[in-house]
Amino acid sequence: MAIDFGYSVSQPRAVDLDRNDLSLAREIVREMPEFSACIACGGCTATCTAGNLTSFNFRLVQTLVRRGEYAGAYAEMNKCMLCGKCRLVCPRGINTRGVVRLIKRKLGDY
Amino acid sequence: MEIISFYSGFVIPFLVGVSVLFAVVVYKFGRWFVRLPVEDRRLVRKNFFSRATVRALGECFMECLLHRKIWKVNPTLGYMHTAFAFGWFLLIVVGWVETVAYLGWRFVPLQGHIFFKFFTGGEHHWLVMDILLWYVLSGLVLAVYKRFRSRTLGMRRTTKLTFGDRVALSSLWFIFPLRLLAENFSGVMAFWWGYSIALGIFFVAMPFSRYMHIFTEVPLIFLRRWGIRSGERESSFDHFQLEACSRCGICIDPCQLQRDAGFRDVQSAYFIRDRRYNRLTRRVADNCLMCGRCEGRCPVGLQLDTLRLNSRHTLSGTPADGRFEYARKITNNPVISNECEKSTGQTVIASENEAICSNSQSSSSHPLGGRGETKNSQLSTPRIGFFGGCMTLLSPRILQSMEQIFAASGDDVWWADRNGGICCGRPLKLSGDIDAARDMMQMNTQLFEAQGITTLVTSCPICLRVFREDYRLEGIEVLHHSEYIARLIAEGCLSLRDSDEKMTYHDPCELGRGCGIYDAPRQVLASVGELVEPAETRSEALCCGSSLANFVVDDASQVAMARAVGAAFEATGAARVVTACPLCKKAIGRTSSLPTLDLAEVVAEKLNND
Ligand code: SF4
Ligand code: SF4
Ligand code: SF4
Ligand code: SF4
Ligand code: SF4
Repeated sequence: MAIDFGYSVSQPRAVDLDRNDLSLAREIVREMPEFSACIACGGCTATCTAGNLTSFNFRLVQTLVRRGEYAGAYAEMNKCMLCGKCRLVCPRGINTRGVVRLIKRKLGDY
Repeated sequence: MEIISFYSGFVIPFLVGVSVLFAVVVYKFGRWFVRLPVEDRRLVRKNFFSRATVRALGECFMECLLHRKIWKVNPTLGYMHTAFAFGWFLLIVVGWVETVAYLGWRFVPLQGHIFFKFFTGGEHHWLVMDILLWYVLSGLVLAVYKRFRSRTLGMRRTTKLTFGDRVALSSLWFIFPLRLLAENFSGVMAFWWGYSIALGIFFVAMPFSRYMHIFTEVPLIFLRRWGIRSGERESSFDHFQLEACSRCGICIDPCQLQRDAGFRDVQSAYFIRDRRYNRLTRRVADNCLMCGRCEGRCPVGLQLDTLRLNSRHTLSGTPADGRFEYARKITNNPVISNECEKSTGQTVIASENEAICSNSQSSSSHPLGGRGETKNSQLSTPRIGFFGGCMTLLSPRILQSMEQIFAASGDDVWWADRNGGICCGRPLKLSGDIDAARDMMQMNTQLFEAQGITTLVTSCPICLRVFREDYRLEGIEVLHHSEYIARLIAEGCLSLRDSDEKMTYHDPCELGRGCGIYDAPRQVLASVGELVEPAETRSEALCCGSSLANFVVDDASQVAMARAVGAAFEATGAARVVTACPLCKKAIGRTSSLPTLDLAEVVAEKLNND
C-alpha cells in the first residue's frame, strides 16, 4: 500500500514546442506583453486563495499556455476567484487577474 | 387687427428640423419605455400618482433648467449651462406671452412664435426679450471660450466631440448670433434664412448628439423618482441614463487614471459615449477603479459604476459552470470548517482558534448586547464571526492586531477564513461574472449561517460592501472593524492610551463612498492620536489606485497613482498614514515615505494590556 506523505511528485513531462500551435499563445502575449515577464517564481501559486483549496496552480497553467499547451487551461483558470492576492505578491508586478481573464477569453471563446 | 400669414419660405428648414427632432425623440422614448422590465413598469404605475411625481417636477426645474448641481461643482460652468437652458427656456416662454399679448388668444403656428419679429415686422418689441437674448449670448461666449481654453472655466480637460456633437455644436453657436442679427436687421432675409437653417440643423443633429440630454434628463428624473434603478444586468432604463449624459466633462478631472496615470479615454464621459454609440470596448469598460469619485460629482446623478458593471457583464461575463464546487468542502461542513485540508495534507485544528478568545470577562453591558444568557445556553456557538477576506489574509499584522483587540474585548470569535476560506465574491462581481459571484456568495452565506453567528466583522471594506449590498444575511449584523472597534471604545470595553501623535487617515473608496462610513474610523483614531486630514478627504478622498475593480492598469500606473496619494499625505505633516483597508495599506505603503498602517494596528499598539 502506498504511504501518503502529504505531497506528491509531478510526473516528468515534455513540451514539444515544434509540434504545439503557438499562435494563440503569441496572441495572448501580444495583448498583454507583461505576461512574458513572469520568472516562474511561484509566488502567485503559493498565495492563491483557490490554490489553497484545490490543485489549481496559476503559475503552472499560465506557463503551459505560453508553451502552447491549452488543454484544460480554461477549466483550470475558471477556478480563480479573481481575489487579487497573486498580483500583490508578484515580484514582476504582473496584472495576473488580467492574464486569467485574457486566457479564459481566448481559450473559452468569450 | 390684420390677419397675419405665418408663412414664409425661410421657415422650412426650421419646420423640418422640429419634425425630425420630434419624431426621433418620440421613437426613442417610446422604444425604451416599452422595453422597460416588468417590475420597472410596475413601479411606474405604482408611483405615478404620488408625491414622487411632484418632487420630480421640482427636480426637473432645479436641474434641467437651473443646473443647481453644476453650480455647486463649478459656478462659472453653472452660469454657462443656466444661461443656455434657462435663458432659452425663458425666451420661449416669454416669447409666447409676447405673442399672446400682441395677438390675443388665438392659434399661432410654431414658426409664428419663433420668428415673431419677422411676422410682425419688428414693430412690436419687448425689451426683456433682448435682455434674455443677451443673457443666452453671454453663456455662448463662455461656451466658445471653454471649448478652446477649458482651464479658464476651472476644468483641466473637456470632452472630445463626436461627429453629431460637432454638427450640433457648430449650429448651436450660430443660432443666437443669427437671431440677434435677424431681429435687429429685420429686413435682411439672409439673416432669417441663416437663423432658421441653424435651428433646423441643430434640431436634426440634436437626438444624435450629446444635446439629447436636454430631453432625456426629464424622463430620467421621473423614472428615478419612481424608484427605477439600473442593476447588475443591462436593462432598458440604462438608455435613459446613457443619453442623459451631457458630456459636460465634470467627471474627467477627478479621475486619477487621467490625472496620475495618463489614460485619456476611459473616464465615465467616454465610457458612456462609447456605450451609447455601440462602440464600447473591453479595454474601456475594464479600465476603471470604480472609485466613485466621478459618480459623486456627476451633475445628472448617473449610476456610473453600475452602468460600467453591467457593461462588463455583457462584454465579458462567462457562465458560472459550477466552477467553485471544489470549495464546497469548506462551506458544506461547518464542523470542520476551521480545518483546512490543503493539498499538502497539512491540517490546522479549530481548537487553536478557541484558545485566543477564551478569556471572556465581559459583562452584560457588552456592546453586542446581553451575551450572558445566550452564552450559557449555546455554549459552543460563537457569536462573532471575523472574516478577514483575501486581502487581510495577506496582511498578518492586521490579523494579529484583530486577535489582540478581540482578546481585550473578551468576545468569542469564530475566525471564518483564517485557515482557508473563499473570497467574498465582490472581485468576481466587479469583473462581470455575476452568476459565478452569486454561487460564491451563497457558499459563504451557508457557512456563516451554519456557525450561528449574530455579528459578522470584517476588516476589508471590499467584503463589507458585498456583504451589505448583495448578501442576504438574516439576523446577522455586518460591521466593519472600524465600526466594531468604535463601538467597543464607546462602551468602555477597550482601554487605550491616547497620544498626541499626528496621524492622517485615508478613506478607502469602498468604505467611504461605497458604504458611507467616514466617522467610525475617525472616532477611533481620535482616541489614540491626533487626526490631520489630507486636502481631499471624506467623499472627495483619493483612491489608492490598486482597486480590484480595475482589470487593465499595469504596475507602473498603480505606482504612479499611489505616489500621488502618498504625496498628499506627506503634505499633511503627519507622522503616519492610517487606513482601514488592507489593500489600501499595501498600495499606499508601497511608495509612501510614511509608515502606513491599518486602523486595527494602531489600536492594538495602544491597548493597555493589564
Ligand atoms: S486572483 Fe485567482 S489566481 Fe490570483 S490568488 Fe486569487 S484565486 Fe488565485
Ligand atoms: S508571482 Fe508573478 S513572476 Fe512569480 S510566477 Fe506568479 S506571475 Fe510569475
Ligand atoms: S457622466 Fe455625468 S459628469 Fe460625466 S460627462 Fe456625463 S453628465 Fe457630465
Ligand atoms: S470611477 Fe474612478 S477610475 Fe472610474 S472613471 Fe470614475 S473617477 Fe475614473
Ligand atoms: S483599494 Fe482601497 S482605495 Fe483602492 S479602490 Fe479599494 S477601497 Fe478604494
